[in-house]
Amino acid sequence: MIRRRDYLRLTLQKLALRKRRAAFAIVSVALGVVVVVTVNSLMVGVRDVAVKTIWTEEIDPDVIRVYAGDNPYEYTMTPDEEKRKAKKRMQFLTESVFDEIRAWPGVEAADRPVTVQPVSISALDKRPRGVGEIQGVPEALLLRYVKDRSLVAGISNAIPLVVGEREVKLKFDEKRGRLDEDPNGEASWLKRDVTIVLGDNYAMVAHFNYDYAKHEYKRVADEDVTARRDELERSYRGMYDMTIFNTTLTLKGRVVGFCPGSKVLMPFDAAELCEKWIDERNRLAARNPPRTAESAVYGESGQRAPKPGEYAEGVVLVKHGADVESVAKRIEDMGFTVATRARTFENQAEAFDSTVHIVKEVAFALGGLILGLACALVWSTTSKTVSDSRVDIGLFRALGATKRDIRRLFLGEAMLQGVLGTVVGMVVGWVLAVGISHWVIGFARQSVFDPEEALLIPDSIFSINLMFSFLLIVGAAVVSLLAGLLPANRAANVDPVKALKRE
Amino acid sequence: MIRLENVSMEYRLKSERVEALREVTLHLREGSFEAIMGPSGSGKTTLIQLIAGLLTPTTGEVIVSGERLSQLDDAKISAFRNRTIGFVFQFFNLPNYYNAMDNTALPLVFAGVDERHRRERARALLTEFGLEDRLNHKPDQLSGGEAQRVAIARALITNPKIILADEPTGNLDRDTGTHVMELLQRINRERGVTVLMVTHDEKAAAFAQRVIRIEKGELA
Repeated sequence: MIRRRDYLRLTLQKLALRKRRAAFAIVSVALGVVVVVTVNSLMVGVRDVAVKTIWTEEIDPDVIRVYAGDNPYEYTMTPDEEKRKAKKRMQFLTESVFDEIRAWPGVEAADRPVTVQPVSISALDKRPRGVGEIQGVPEALLLRYVKDRSLVAGISNAIPLVVGEREVKLKFDEKRGRLDEDPNGEASWLKRDVTIVLGDNYAMVAHFNYDYAKHEYKRVADEDVTARRDELERSYRGMYDMTIFNTTLTLKGRVVGFCPGSKVLMPFDAAELCEKWIDERNRLAARNPPRTAESAVYGESGQRAPKPGEYAEGVVLVKHGADVESVAKRIEDMGFTVATRARTFENQAEAFDSTVHIVKEVAFALGGLILGLACALVWSTTSKTVSDSRVDIGLFRALGATKRDIRRLFLGEAMLQGVLGTVVGMVVGWVLAVGISHWVIGFARQSVFDPEEALLIPDSIFSINLMFSFLLIVGAAVVSLLAGLLPANRAANVDPVKALKRE
Repeated sequence: MIRLENVSMEYRLKSERVEALREVTLHLREGSFEAIMGPSGSGKTTLIQLIAGLLTPTTGEVIVSGERLSQLDDAKISAFRNRTIGFVFQFFNLPNYYNAMDNTALPLVFAGVDERHRRERARALLTEFGLEDRLNHKPDQLSGGEAQRVAIARALITNPKIILADEPTGNLDRDTGTHVMELLQRINRERGVTVLMVTHDEKAAAFAQRVIRIEKGELA
């Protein structure tokens, strides 16, 4: 009975005799493992980054966003959805549609969203993340975010505003150039009076640049801000009479609550008036025919612009506790597309998961193919070793080795190639994955829309799945054992008399 | 010690039947030194392969140290070879990837002896055979006589009762061959090991106590 350590020594000695061939087999196994391990080490982290940067917090859990055209929150469309979309008749949301929806049980409010822009809000306008619009929403939705209803009831000389949590919970650290969490943010903003400058055409001129490499905001020099304003003004000059176009209306606003995301909300009626004022100003200032509403694109009918009284978007507020998805389904049945927080997140996560799944399948299939070829190589190397070792096998048998000893010796050789290849492949795969992770993180930080999201991106997407690694080694050992079984049996059955006769 | 009772051995060479041994009955005493001589193809090597249990006779019985070899399974016959038989080959059969010490110790690997004891025993034997300064030499760095002495040391490492030597001087010059034969004779005398040697060489055979002649598979 050969000792285990001697089995290993004899196996290594045999492998060392065929260094090149063995190295080739080991490298082939390693190559297949590298593909599988690299992909597996990154996929969990990639998904994590994707989930963290999916922009869904803007949608309140009880809100359904309704679209006449495509759902902008949709990540991808399945072929079935594409077909359904193509068959749909073109229609816009109208007051009668909103009336019908409002009448459904569980629906608290339904209306079009009013976007008031351009607009600047004091105290928010010189911060790194500028706010250039206010959204008018149904009063019921606004009231959900109001901290104390008496704050709204008591207002007579200001517009109640609900500010996005992202704005108030973050404070700007000028020294570090970063937005940090501000635990007293809400307290300091609640009841604060702000100035709303309606029609501020230069509201979105950036006062800060984000340095994606250093992850910090850098203040833009005053002369550069002025230069940007001038450039913008030059571009307006051809379209508008600047005396009228530069007219602004200053209103007073008061912060009464906080909503998810980074939007600023005001009551629907006030927003409609603000929108009307800006539209009227722009109409008066326009040198050319007034702008038309953005056309909605969908369906086989192509595209057309909504007529007066037709809207491309709608907001439906569902009563707290009511079934959001069943209301969304009914709206869908009317022929509109909808976005809810749950299904938008799920849709995007599912789409991402299916992409991850495909990438994994392709990588695993490729890795499997390479591993299959590598196994054939292990088989061939072990076969060649057996053929070249006939005299040694005969000698070993004459000196007292059993058939089982010989079989184990060559099985060990095959297994060693498989396991060594797997371990080498794993290490190389991990190193490669760390490199790719570094590159992906750098790329992701530079490509996210909002710098704040860049702060959410982890430093690495690399992870080691211990169970997977263990199973891979066990699998490699088993597969290489199978690959070595035939040659090992051939070795065990070598006739020592014939083998020694060769001498 | 070694008994062959009516042993016949047949081979199939392509479609032809070859009778290597025919009704051979042979008794060898314990501690004897015997030479088997005969022309090529007379069945000499087949005879020692039967005694080593590397071949199973077509008919008859081979009994070595009280063991009926035909009744032993692979594990038992391997253990029997390891413990009872020492082989000395014409071409030494020393794998070149092992040095003299590892080659000598090889049978102990199959006996499951630990490395320290293997090396101790191999060193002692090689020193006894005057090879103390050749312990770490590879076979291709040894002369023919040295290589055969390493092979004899390997044959003795498990303290076997029998040494089967197949043309031990066949690959050596006359003087070296004589030295090897003297060594085998010494081993036979001092250790009481039974030596059965196949040879063509009359001078080598002269070292044996008895010469068994074989022709066309039959004892002469």
